[in-house]
Amino acid sequence: MLVGLVATAALTLSACGGGTSGTSGQTAAGPGAKAEQGGTLQVLANAAFSHLDPARGFDGGVNNFYRLIYRTLTTQGAAPGAEGTKIVPDLATDTGKPSDGGKTWTFTLKDGVFFETGAPITSADVKWGVERAWDPELGIGSPYAKQLIEAPASYQGPYKSGDLATISTPDAKTIVFHLKKPFADFGSVVAQNTFTPVPKGQGAGNQLDSKPISSGPYELADYKPGASLKLVRNDKWDKKTDNVRTANPDVFQWTFGLDPATIDERMLAGQGTDADAIAGTVQAATVARMQTPQLKQRTMTGINGCTTYMGLNTTKKPLDNVKVRQAINLAINKQTVRDADGGSALAEIGNTIQPPTITGRVDYDPYPSQDNKGDIDGARKLLTEAGLANGFTMTLDTRAQPKMQAMAVAIQQALEPLKVTVKINTIDTATYYEVIGTTSQQHDAAITGWCPDWPSGATFLPPLFDGRNITPKGNTNLSQLNDPGVNAKIDEISKLTDVNAANAAYGELDKQIMALAPVVPLLYEKVLMLVGSNIGGAYLHDGFSGGIDLVSVGLKDAGK
Amino acid sequence: MTTSPTLVEVEEAVPSGPLAPPTSGKRVVTTITRDKGALACLVFLAIVVLMAVAAPLITKLSGWGPYQFDSAAINSDLGGVPHGSLGGISGSHWFGVEPQNGRDLFARIVYGARVSITISLSATLLTGILGVVLGMLAGFYRGWVDQVISRLMDFLMAFPALIFMIAILSSLPSGNRPVLLVVVISVFGWPYLARVIRGQTMTLANREFVEAARASGAKDTQVVFREILPNLRGSIVVMTTLAIPGFIGTEAGLSFLGVGVSPPTASWGQMIASSVSWYSVDPMFFAIPGAFLFLTVLSLTVLGDKIRTLIDQGEAA
Repeated sequence: MLVGLVATAALTLSACGGGTSGTSGQTAAGPGAKAEQGGTLQVLANAAFSHLDPARGFDGGVNNFYRLIYRTLTTQGAAPGAEGTKIVPDLATDTGKPSDGGKTWTFTLKDGVFFETGAPITSADVKWGVERAWDPELGIGSPYAKQLIEAPASYQGPYKSGDLATISTPDAKTIVFHLKKPFADFGSVVAQNTFTPVPKGQGAGNQLDSKPISSGPYELADYKPGASLKLVRNDKWDKKTDNVRTANPDVFQWTFGLDPATIDERMLAGQGTDADAIAGTVQAATVARMQTPQLKQRTMTGINGCTTYMGLNTTKKPLDNVKVRQAINLAINKQTVRDADGGSALAEIGNTIQPPTITGRVDYDPYPSQDNKGDIDGARKLLTEAGLANGFTMTLDTRAQPKMQAMAVAIQQALEPLKVTVKINTIDTATYYEVIGTTSQQHDAAITGWCPDWPSGATFLPPLFDGRNITPKGNTNLSQLNDPGVNAKIDEISKLTDVNAANAAYGELDKQIMALAPVVPLLYEKVLMLVGSNIGGAYLHDGFSGGIDLVSVGLKDAGK
Repeated sequence: MTTSPTLVEVEEAVPSGPLAPPTSGKRVVTTITRDKGALACLVFLAIVVLMAVAAPLITKLSGWGPYQFDSAAINSDLGGVPHGSLGGISGSHWFGVEPQNGRDLFARIVYGARVSITISLSATLLTGILGVVLGMLAGFYRGWVDQVISRLMDFLMAFPALIFMIAILSSLPSGNRPVLLVVVISVFGWPYLARVIRGQTMTLANREFVEAARASGAKDTQVVFREILPNLRGSIVVMTTLAIPGFIGTEAGLSFLGVGVSPPTASWGQMIASSVSWYSVDPMFFAIPGAFLFLTVLSLTVLGDKIRTLIDQGEAA
């Protein structure tokens, strides 16, 4: 998924959707215990939701939240582990029927599905919702509908350009998508936010950002942007039509804009309504205070499914030399980078581009060193071969955010023995991803991250390393790698019709790319959160950057 | 120069004039060394200045550089909290280590003193020059020169300086941060000195000895440098001594707010800022840089206050 991410990590609903994550410590008495129906569940958060409009919002945090108010044709499962990232039918009766060799996909809607207004959800509403993705103002979220579905180049969404002929609705229950080229995994694509139904003719401009039209188990009762958000039950939603959502609490109450330290203190104390609260990942300073048995029982942890990495701009000297990039890969002390991020409780050391949660990912270490502390001698040898025994100077872009700055300093320190002077260029938090995504403003290296949209290499490697995707603005190929071998391999894999074979091939492509060392994989960040003592039914969902799955969480004692 | 004999005469006349002998440096020093409190302040400041000057030597002695990571000193499993009590104070890390990276706090305090002292002294020098020159120009020439300078001073003093400093520093590219800090602090700092100097210059310019100098044919520059400036010495010393702690505080404050010197440069303000989230697990990380900042500012303020009292007494005598 799109940039946006890692730095703020799970705390601020970082970014990107998919991903699968590892384990989480759940016991019968802890947050995994059975939840009752009813009660008010509190969510304490630092940052507010980016958008309530499903065509606009696109990060792990909102994707999770959207499942409470929106339904899509298919959706991810509601379970810990791999079950959670399995695609299951939601509004549709199945995960789609391909025809024409995978170029045409047909979905049939369930009976008895309604909007909060009481109007039935028809295929025309789904089509209207998907068409909104082409609107230049609204379509800033998930890019997949635009990328895969055939459409005239001039098409600008239903409000400006009207009807899109390549999505047909033969009757009120059936919707047919015509794609540009065959896509084997389209059943996963229709789980994206952009496949949310919107009543035909509605949702122009900012309408849905202030008042979403719900198709899920909850509807918006009160929303003060940046301060609070309250969801109550949508009585038009019928549990019988929905195999995914348990929808335990009667009310969801978000409080935004809280200081991260305040959130941690409140969760540690767990007094009053905070016993019914969930929150994001704790700060590094709080980890040492969570070691009592009582707090450990309220702790949940797992990988967030993203990779934090340092992109090396292969168009700049001397980073255009593969030996120099390999030397940097060898020299980085990933232990200190991890400590800068919060230590082993908040991150795992990463050596491959794809995080462990990706299907078909191969675990290997292309640039090994003892305890991942960096191999300075090996790196020095490579630099000498490259004729740079006396080092060089490079500029590292980093976000004006303590965690990322600390990581930049760790990298600076790790390269110092090689006489490589790293100048840290701190860029404002708000414009960081825009600046490093503009090829003319990009420096030699940048620390960033990437999360998959669903746990497949297809949403990880091509966006980051396909040389034909380099754009002057909004560029995601930070290393600007344009390698014929890699490009050819990407094309070859995209033609595979077997999803499993494709995933395995991406695992091999990961190795092929790392041989060129265009990036330094640094960390797989973890979520580590405290939940209130009355929270039940909670597990970390691998599809939502390791956040607690909101459609299943609830209160153990709803009357309390 | 035909006027020189007259000038000598005038200069000789000054000490016996109504302004009384300006407090001599010697008297200030002897009085201060007799005052225990002031002496303690002086000693502490001497230590800080010594640390700043000899930072590389001192860290060589202590064994840890300010940027050197020590992964062994922190507990990665507990979020990077230092091993041992009191923030990891030990024989090898005298003041303990910074959480999450194990950098030696002693080395960072020593190098942080460098940043604080350099920035505050440079800013004091720059404000001193700006304040004295512009204040004297305004007070001496009056008329439109005074109008222009005084309005500029009013404008700068009425400005919400801190907010503006934060805005400027966060919008400027990172470049040479210390120089930027000095310039920004000085731009907003000089009017306070200049206003006092202007007033004093106006009074002095009407004194008999100045008129006598003029009557003997002294040029403006001679009057300014030989007659007026020496009599402003007391005010300048007091104003600048009292300004230094203010600048140290401002630098620390701006670094605390994240617009001061950029990492990895050590700065007390930055250390305090990053210690905030660690206050409950590692209070020493806050206490040590906090104590140094507090004691430095306190010492300078006490000392400045003492000097002012002495000079006032001298002038009154």
